[in-house]
Amino acid sequence: MKNNLIVSGSPHIHNKESVSRIMWTVVISLIPAGIAGVIIFGWDALWVTLVAVFAAVLTEWVCTLLTKKKVTIFDGSAVITGVLLAYNLPSNVPLWLPIVGAVFSIAIGKQIFGGLGQNIFNPALVGRVFLMASWPKYMTTFVKPFNYDAVTSATPLAILKEGKILEHISYGDLFLGRHGGCIGEVCILALLIGAAILLIKGYISWQIPASFILTTAGFTYVFGSSPLFHGDWLFSILSGGLILGAFFMATDYVATPLTAKGQLIFGLGCGLLTAVIRLWGGYPEGVSYAILMMNAATPFIDRYTKNRIYGTR
Amino acid sequence: MSIQEFLSIFISSVFIYNVILSRFLGLCPFVAISKNTKQALAMSGAVTFVIIASSIVTWLIYQFLLLPFNLAYLRTLSFVLVIATLVQLIEMVIRKTSPALYRAFGIYLTLITTNCAVLGAAVLNVDMFFSNGKAVAGSFYYSVFQGACMGLGYTLAMLLMSGIRERLELCNVSKAVKDFPLAFIIASVLSLSFMGFSGFSR
Amino acid sequence: MKSLIKEFTKGIIKENPTFVLVLGLCPTLAVSVSVINGIGMGIAATFVLIGSSVIVSLVKGFIPDKIRIPCFIVIIATFVTITELCLKAYSPALNRALGIYVPLIVVNCIVLARAEAFACKNNLVSSFLDGLGMGVGFTLALVLISGIREFLGAGQILGYTLIKGFEPVFVFGMPSGALLVIGLLLGFINLLKNRER
Repeated sequence: MKNNLIVSGSPHIHNKESVSRIMWTVVISLIPAGIAGVIIFGWDALWVTLVAVFAAVLTEWVCTLLTKKKVTIFDGSAVITGVLLAYNLPSNVPLWLPIVGAVFSIAIGKQIFGGLGQNIFNPALVGRVFLMASWPKYMTTFVKPFNYDAVTSATPLAILKEGKILEHISYGDLFLGRHGGCIGEVCILALLIGAAILLIKGYISWQIPASFILTTAGFTYVFGSSPLFHGDWLFSILSGGLILGAFFMATDYVATPLTAKGQLIFGLGCGLLTAVIRLWGGYPEGVSYAILMMNAATPFIDRYTKNRIYGTR
Repeated sequence: MSIQEFLSIFISSVFIYNVILSRFLGLCPFVAISKNTKQALAMSGAVTFVIIASSIVTWLIYQFLLLPFNLAYLRTLSFVLVIATLVQLIEMVIRKTSPALYRAFGIYLTLITTNCAVLGAAVLNVDMFFSNGKAVAGSFYYSVFQGACMGLGYTLAMLLMSGIRERLELCNVSKAVKDFPLAFIIASVLSLSFMGFSGFSR
Repeated sequence: MKSLIKEFTKGIIKENPTFVLVLGLCPTLAVSVSVINGIGMGIAATFVLIGSSVIVSLVKGFIPDKIRIPCFIVIIATFVTITELCLKAYSPALNRALGIYVPLIVVNCIVLARAEAFACKNNLVSSFLDGLGMGVGFTLALVLISGIREFLGAGQILGYTLIKGFEPVFVFGMPSGALLVIGLLLGFINLLKNRER
């Protein structure tokens, strides 16, 4: 549905009304995951999210003032960035961390390119990767689920990366989010509810999440363990930030290709990079890096998959 | 010599220690020429070719001329002369055999002499694949392969950058950050994303 | 006399090689992880700059125009080799820290550009001052950038912790942070330049 409306490359001149509608719907669709995060990790999750959102909106306001552009904080896009950034953080980070991350996301990830519609990279991920590089200690310490004191645990993917065996985790646990991880990534159920809203309304395409998730799962199935074709693909789908990333961050309108074919390629690339980093890289999770790298490649994907102008060869 | 070693050279030269985004070699053309994909490709192609050629020649000179006569300290001087000469030669050859190609490269060919990436590659080869004044096993092949991979990494970074900058031409970026500053910030984010490749073990 | 002083000072602000001429960025970004390294590289580069500028201006009458660039390179490379050997002998720690960027001074755009643009057209004293000024400007730029990076990235300057309890932002010690700092600095300087007009 979305593809029928778009006939040219960005930047677009947005009708502010409909952009806001879409943005705020996305915010609403992210609420289930937030509620789940609070249930699983406690009130810390809420504070982190609120702080990130507040910082993001404030930064956007200041930036639009400084660059004398139209104030856009009410279109919801800064809120989305704040929420997504928070969802990518552990719940027990010191509160200055999401603030710095949000400022970076909005200022460097978005405003310096000229604001909405012009960012090359997904702003929330830019912030997250910045935080990861700057304070790795804080970004990789997670609390145990349902344990509202700060008893630390590692995420399933991190445990695997160290070569240890996972115990006491069932697929059900993974689906409901009963394990350590970032605020918004653990509860697959809640995320899927939100994703369903967006898919039904036609606000996100199915191509990107589908190709992303299937590629990661497929690659993991083939190469995930020895012998070949014995990888645990279901685990790979349900763990880490794959669902959150595939449905909510890889589908960012501005930073991804326009055509269906381009989107399939985009999703494929993301999936491939994610799987490779997960299996053989130093980090336990590769979703953020994969999406950012494909964001960078998007101008090229667009160039070679653009719709023909009617009448030309 | 093992496939492991070649693979690890490939991954580290192209992604983890990308010649532009991580080692900062070849920055001047990166920031100045990457606005246009055609130019970027031309530059990258020329640079890759020169890196490979100079990797071969500098290795041979180091192994058979400098080391036996205890002249290792002359490597900077000799390498740089080799590169300058190579570039001149290549220029002449291209001019004779394919004037169209020569015109396509334009001034970039001459600029390659001062491109840190070329000298950097030669010096890195010697640093990495010689120890205690002797070449390690397979040193020659590793050196040439590393040169080729550095060229590949260079091309990758240039292409990504030019695609992004071409797209940004259509956007209204504030005047202060136009061109250079923005290019660096884009490079910074690219460098951050490439960090995803760190720690590759095989 | 006034014009001579100008040759020296222009390299520091008005034609600062890093921020205004935007030359020699490769070593700037790579080396600016700590202030000590920045100063070390700055001094090494200044030495090469002065040496090569002086020699080039002395022999400019004897170099045929067609092969002047290779000749400059030979002169510069000689000074770089001297620098390399001195560093290896007297300061091996700094030599290791600066790594491949010491031999790379020979293709540092600043050195070649000054030889080509100035030293081969001017007399000995002016060339000396020009080289010195550019070197000082370069060193100052290095100190500024590495000061920012070392402070933010490691919470220290010259190895001394300045603010207790400051959580260092590791990314500034990494390539990405270097690119970010120079991008923001250049943008800031452009802003100032635009305001002036």
